[in-house]
Amino acid sequence: MENCLGIITMGSMDKQESNFGPLCKKRPIYMLPFGGRYRLIDFTISNMVNHGISTVAVYTGDKIRSTMDHLGNGKPWDLNRRFNGLFLYPPLHNSSSRKGEIAELYSTLDFFNNAKDENVLLIHPNYLGSVNLKEAYAEFIEKDSDMTLIYKKKVDPWGQYVNCDKLIMDKNNKFKNIGINLGTEQEFNMYIGMILLKKKVLLEIVKKAIEDGESTYLKEAIIAYKHEYKINTYEFKGHIEVINDLKNFYDANLNLLSKEISQELFFSGGPVFTKTKDEPSTFYSEDSQVYNSLVANGCIIEGTVENCIVFRGVKIGKNAIVKNSILMQKSVVHDNAIVVNTIMDKYSSIGEGLRITGNSSMPYVVEKSKELRKD
Amino acid sequence: MVENKVVAMLLAGGQGSRLKALTRKIAKPAVPFGGKYRIIDFALSNATNSRISDIGILTQYKPFQLNTHIGIGQAWDYDRNVGGLRVLPPFTSEDGGRWYTGTANAIFENIDYLDELNPQYVLILSGDHIYKMDYRQLLKEHQEKGADVTISVIEVPWEEAPRFGIINTDQDNKIVEFDEKPKNPKNNMASMGIYMFNWVELRKYLIKDSKNPNSEHDFGKNVLPDMLNDGKKMYSWNFKGYWKDVGTIRSYWEANMDLIDPDNELNMYDKDWRIYTRNRNLPPHYLSRSSKVRNSLINEGCTVKGEVRNSVFFSDIYIEKGAKINNSVVLSDSIVEAGAEVNNAIILEGVTVKKGDKIGEEGDGNIYVVTKKGFTIE
Repeated sequence: MENCLGIITMGSMDKQESNFGPLCKKRPIYMLPFGGRYRLIDFTISNMVNHGISTVAVYTGDKIRSTMDHLGNGKPWDLNRRFNGLFLYPPLHNSSSRKGEIAELYSTLDFFNNAKDENVLLIHPNYLGSVNLKEAYAEFIEKDSDMTLIYKKKVDPWGQYVNCDKLIMDKNNKFKNIGINLGTEQEFNMYIGMILLKKKVLLEIVKKAIEDGESTYLKEAIIAYKHEYKINTYEFKGHIEVINDLKNFYDANLNLLSKEISQELFFSGGPVFTKTKDEPSTFYSEDSQVYNSLVANGCIIEGTVENCIVFRGVKIGKNAIVKNSILMQKSVVHDNAIVVNTIMDKYSSIGEGLRITGNSSMPYVVEKSKELRKD
Repeated sequence: MVENKVVAMLLAGGQGSRLKALTRKIAKPAVPFGGKYRIIDFALSNATNSRISDIGILTQYKPFQLNTHIGIGQAWDYDRNVGGLRVLPPFTSEDGGRWYTGTANAIFENIDYLDELNPQYVLILSGDHIYKMDYRQLLKEHQEKGADVTISVIEVPWEEAPRFGIINTDQDNKIVEFDEKPKNPKNNMASMGIYMFNWVELRKYLIKDSKNPNSEHDFGKNVLPDMLNDGKKMYSWNFKGYWKDVGTIRSYWEANMDLIDPDNELNMYDKDWRIYTRNRNLPPHYLSRSSKVRNSLINEGCTVKGEVRNSVFFSDIYIEKGAKINNSVVLSDSIVEAGAEVNNAIILEGVTVKKGDKIGEEGDGNIYVVTKKGFTIE
């Protein structure tokens, strides 16, 4: 994808952080650990890089410590370049500046003007999917679109995707508007937070939105000025995860235990890059019993593990039983403990003999660095 | 100003011919070890963890994979502005091209490199061994004794002493005699091939040795005994800990098995002394409902649906349902198909063990090396 900038913004994700309980106390949603050794944003950046995008700008939002630590100079994604590479844009804090996606984009006009690329791929990193952007980009160029919105047809009998953005289209599949899914239709076109735009168009919209003072988010601005532009859509047919609350996050992790889904996310679009930790291999003891689980490196497993995602450097003690759970980096389940339907955040631990059981519809969350003990 | 500057020279040109199929395409230091490493990673990581800022790597035998692995040394933090890592292959000059003819000759040929860095000390390392050592301790000992050379030694079992260069010392660890592969060893302290030299002295003796037509240009055989004859101050330093020369197929297999031994001395999980390596960017491994994994090491990218016991797995390995692997070392990208059974084996990279194949019996005492063409028995 030559001639294209990669832009990662949170859209209105910052408003959803409270949906994640203690997990997003100190980290933005896109920094949530995912799939045993990744953060959500790794998939977005890797997808961009694997499509030949060499300039990536990340609008980090307020909680930037974990972002800075993880992304650094972009080395894991080969974005530590002399030309182009990774740009991090934390929000500016002065009394006069407005907040929100539009204001943030507006504050970096120089970045856009200095870049030679003429097109922009803008992604919200809470949608996870291995989208073949090459095809979408070719179509975008060929049709000389001002923008192309990428969507996925979703059948949603359980109302799982209520409040997600949907694309409204006419009979000829022409874009009409962006609305919100209220679950009134069997099937709807879910907007997956990926959009291709001409840079010129993006800057025009951003400036207009600032001038008119109507829109905070790019989505609102697109709705406001939709009649002035040639807007096309592109259908993504693969697997997509929407991470907008704790339950979705938990399910999306456990969905990786399905071979088709993990193959698609981990392999189909090229490797997923992340900051490496130099952990040795995982050791399984003589008494360990592990079924249907994804396990990262550096773990020492001596107990029973079933239907779990186990991150790097986790320890599971003797006779411990862990089921349907997500154990993040360096968490510890001590001997004889039982952990079911739980998300353990980084460095947390469950003391010897303790039982922790969450609800299958709402997992229990052990906060980062928290040590739960029996007494 | 950096004082006490040490430059490490890592000898990585060894063929390791006794490792047979394992070194058919690669040099011994590039042989995979312990689930995700290559043998050279241990010496390189020791150097990084010992805060050595300059390291030269002397390559010669089939260096392609080794060069790819090392690259610019990024994995070991050797991609630096000041110092860093240099790969030093043999080269040609006005008087023609020469291969490195011995360990000492390899250093002699790179005198220009060392002169430019102008270190106080030169640390000679070998890329053939599995161990964790803080070279700063060796340096400290070297400085305290005011030595010209300090040699790191390790206690080996008496019956194995005749395979090593044995070093006889007085009570103060001052070296009095070198005994290369002695029939009747006087003690069991073996040289580990790790030498700390004062560069000024080493330089003199390298030049002297290069002019000697009868020399094999080897540290153990020529340069060190020559220095001892001249009465240089030479000391030994006793290293305690895990150290293994994986010279043969059997010792290679054993050293890998050591890692899953509960009494294993080599703690790979010590976060204060990490072993670094190049990363393949693979996802976590997956153990299915039908899997049964006991007392084993499994690395990234593997999918296990069969039974695995007492084994060390590298990355991206596929074990089908109903396959059985016991007491084996399985290198990356291999497949073991349903119903196959493998015992006491080393399965090389990219090998597929076919449906229903049976290799070895449990406890038959053999080691099987499984290649794409079949297997050999050791």
